[in-house]
Amino acid sequence: MALCQGKKLDKTFSKREFEPTAMTQSTTRQWSTEKLLLVIGMIAIVAGIAIGASVGYAVRYEAPTTRTFYLFNSSLNFDEELWGVSHDTFAPDRITVNKADKVVIIYRNIEDQNEDHTFTMDAPYKFDAVVHVGRNETTPVVSSAPDLTSVNLHQNQTAVISFTASWGGVFQYRCIYHYPTMTGYLVVLG
Amino acid sequence: MQVPKDPAILRWSAVALIFATGLLDIYYGNSYAGFFENLWYAMGAIYVFTAAVIAANFEPRFAQPTVFGYAIFLFVLWATTALGTGAGLDTVAYVDKAIEALLVVNMALLIRNSRRPSTLT
Repeated sequence: MALCQGKKLDKTFSKREFEPTAMTQSTTRQWSTEKLLLVIGMIAIVAGIAIGASVGYAVRYEAPTTRTFYLFNSSLNFDEELWGVSHDTFAPDRITVNKADKVVIIYRNIEDQNEDHTFTMDAPYKFDAVVHVGRNETTPVVSSAPDLTSVNLHQNQTAVISFTASWGGVFQYRCIYHYPTMTGYLVVLG
Repeated sequence: MQVPKDPAILRWSAVALIFATGLLDIYYGNSYAGFFENLWYAMGAIYVFTAAVIAANFEPRFAQPTVFGYAIFLFVLWATTALGTGAGLDTVAYVDKAIEALLVVNMALLIRNSRRPSTLT
């Protein structure tokens, strides 16, 4: 009998011990969800900072910026008629920028004789151009226009050409009067 | 403000936010001229995929916390690289990251509500 009673008591005890109440279950589960969110959040934050910082450091990326170049016409010392090509060139004949940079080219026609030059680009590039009457960009404006593919400069004029390097690749700029020798390349990295 | 507690509403709002973030990431990778564009494509594609996973309610106990962590990770990654390099600080990125921040909150609420035991049991 005593043994039977003991068994009965044990049964009751074990039933009470392992029967979960709604409150305990709820509290435990809520706590673990919050803990889970906290742990995931902390891991994600630490991983994000670590990878972001190391990528930024390792790649040494330069953010898009405004890059200004001074461009001139130049001429090589040879007889054009004898060689059958123009002796005019661009100086510099290569402009290198990163994709997304804003490019500003201050182009001066420094001819010692009355000769025009153009700055001409093909699609997809178009540019805004402000042409100044004199040898620098502080002189009065002759013309100003957006979305051009070509701008013409008379002797001693200055043009401020600006555009955003939105397409990566190598793009030609040229003078339509002295092509093909007066040709340069815009190199857009990225 | 009334916070929705219905897991179905939270799940579908999460799907909408994930999908929107994914599309914006892909658009940003395509339109953003510069560094990390391939990374934006990858991030966007993963988001679009996870939107489908959350919509299908496939393995929610695993998928939901993963999206929650992924969104926080990408937000912090963007913030760190943007502050370090100056890249990705423009309107499209701000909108994208604002939606991502909303997504984090949405996912946290969804996870809490999905894991809350039903009062009927």
